[in-house]
Order: sequence, then structure tokens, then C-alpha cells
Amino acid sequence: MKYVLLVIGTLAIVAASFFAARSLTIASLTDQTSIFDDFEQTESLWLFSDKIGSAAASGVERAKVAIGGPLGLSAKEAVYFIATHDTNNERLVSECTYLVTGPPIDTRWWSLTLYDSNTQHYVPNEINRSSWNSVSIPREADNSWRLTVAPGRQTGAWLPSQTDPAQPFELNLRVYNPSDAMRAALPNIPLPAVERVSC
Amino acid sequence: MLNRSAIFYGLGAMVLAATTYFVTRSMIIQQAPRMVMSTIEARIAQGAGGWNACFHNRVYGPRANAANRANPDSIISSMAYDLSDGPVRVSGEVWPRYWSLSLYQQNSDNFFVVNDRALETPEFDFILSLANQNVADTNGTVIVSPTSKGIMLIRRFAADADDMPAILENQDAMSCGPL
Repeated sequence: MKYVLLVIGTLAIVAASFFAARSLTIASLTDQTSIFDDFEQTESLWLFSDKIGSAAASGVERAKVAIGGPLGLSAKEAVYFIATHDTNNERLVSECTYLVTGPPIDTRWWSLTLYDSNTQHYVPNEINRSSWNSVSIPREADNSWRLTVAPGRQTGAWLPSQTDPAQPFELNLRVYNPSDAMRAALPNIPLPAVERVSC
Repeated sequence: MLNRSAIFYGLGAMVLAATTYFVTRSMIIQQAPRMVMSTIEARIAQGAGGWNACFHNRVYGPRANAANRANPDSIISSMAYDLSDGPVRVSGEVWPRYWSLSLYQQNSDNFFVVNDRALETPEFDFILSLANQNVADTNGTVIVSPTSKGIMLIRRFAADADDMPAILENQDAMSCGPL
């Protein structure tokens, strides 16, 4: 009888530990922005990692990137910056309107894409636009640029956020083939400012 | 007062629980990228009509069936490769705005990438092989894959939808397949 109880107790402990580990690990890997947990914060509050697609990434970093944004390019080819917060360190949410102003970026090309943080996917919208890039974005006289992020239609360059005001979103700036000077300054290169205009 | 047996069983139970927890967690973390890769490979192979075949995104902009956090300005051609029956060839022409070919092994690491500016000609011809496969008499640039299965991606920068007709031609001039 004693040994039967011992075996049952052992199995119960193994099963409970297994299911607890499975539940907690999967939750930590698939949380809406867990992919960015190990990114470093730049001086301008954008998040940055040079370990995407890299053999130098830890097992946890590799798993989070594989789930949240698979098949990224290694830093040899492109670097990625993420904004989940505005310049006042407030979470980007769809009930607010944001002005994004960017300096010229010394790179072959770049693109700025808006994703729903919950679905980790594009936001369906009436103009089917989720990004602007270094060629398509209208430029100011000094080669800088600006766009508005808002749920409703805007004049000028507009990046639509969700119509559900509570939905958080993020901006992903991809910089392809940055110049040597830009690489030397990583991650604190001149990056766009994301300012809250109204809510 | 607890007897020695109770202490022994209590400690044993804690060690067993902790060991099970950390072994399970490690296995999930290690296997997650491979499971994601297998899922994407299956989708690519289904779209291409099989492994070692080209699959092209033909649409500019956001797509409902794109991968998580995909770039709508990057028009992708992909191939799920399986080198267990021999090397595979990928050839075609680069796209001048920006073109890159990247390869991902089964743990999702981007083990190889090259772009159009690093090539000597506008044409490319790559042979994917395993280290133990003989490709000595084959033309083309040989790339050794660390794993027999993996994913190849070709990215082309599309500034807007006006680039698509030429990109579609570029895709049609591409070929993927066993040697």
C-alpha cells in the first residue's frame, strides 16, 4: 500500500509540474508583446535587438521571436526598432492620435509598419494601408517626414490604427542596409518621434 | 516532530517538481521555433505544390494570410526546402530596388543572407546542399545548410503597387527545384 501511494504521489507531482510549466511557459512566450521583452530600450524609447535571427540569441529570445515575428533578417542585413510607447512613455493606443516625425535615415531603404499588438498582425482599414516606406512617404524640404497615426481618416500621410479605441498597437521600423556610420551609432541613431496629439 | 521519512519524502517531492518543471520548460523553449518553422514550411509547401518549389506572394500591401508582423513593403518569394534527397537549386534575377536571399535553418536562425549589391551579376544561381553531399561538378554558388529542412526567402522592396508588374515578371523568371 505504501508503494502504491508513493507511485501515485510521484505521478501527481510530475503531472502537476508538467502542466504548470507548459501553461506558464506558453503564456510567457505568446503574450502580445513578449517578443520585445529582451529588446533594449534606446534613448528615444524605441526598442532594439541585434539578435533577431542570430545564433547568439538565447533559447528564450529565439522562441519569442519565432512565435511573434518569425523569419526576421539578421542584423548583418537589417535592423529593427519597435515603438510600443510614445515620447512620454505612454502606451500607444487607438483612442489617441499621434504625430510621427522622422529625420532622414541614412540607409538603403526603410519601412514603418503598424501592427495590432493583440493579433500581432495588420489592422484592417478602408485604404488597406499598414505602412509607409522611405520612397512612398512625402518629404519636407529638409528631407524629413511626418505622418499621422489615427483611427479616422487624416489629411497627408495617414497610418490607420484600430477603430476599437482600447486596442494597443505598435510601430515597427525596419532599416535595411544601414550605412556604416549608422551601424557604428546603433542603437542610438536618430529615430522618429511619436508624439501624442490628442485622445 | 516530523520524522526523517516525512522530511525525505518532502524534499524528494520538491526536487521532482522542480526538475519536471524546468525540463518541461526547456523542452518547450527549444521546440517552439522548430514547431513554428514546421508550420510555416507546411504552408509554403502547400502553396507551392510541394517542397523545394517556389512560392510567390503576388500582392502588394497588407495580406490577411501573412505571417505575424510581416512587412507589406517586402514582396516575398519563398521555398520550403528538404535536402534529404539531394541538393536544391534556386536561380533567377535580382530586383534592383532591393533584393536579398536569406536562409533559415530548422531552429529558425537566419544562417545565410546576401543582397543584390553583394552579387557580381544581376543573375543569381545558388545550390543548397548538406555538408556530406557532392556538388563538386555543379555550377552555381554552393551554400551548406546546417539542417536538411529549412526555409529560403527572397525579399524585394516594393515602394508601392506600381512596382508589382515588374516584380511579378521577376518572380516568374525565378526557378526552384532539385538538381
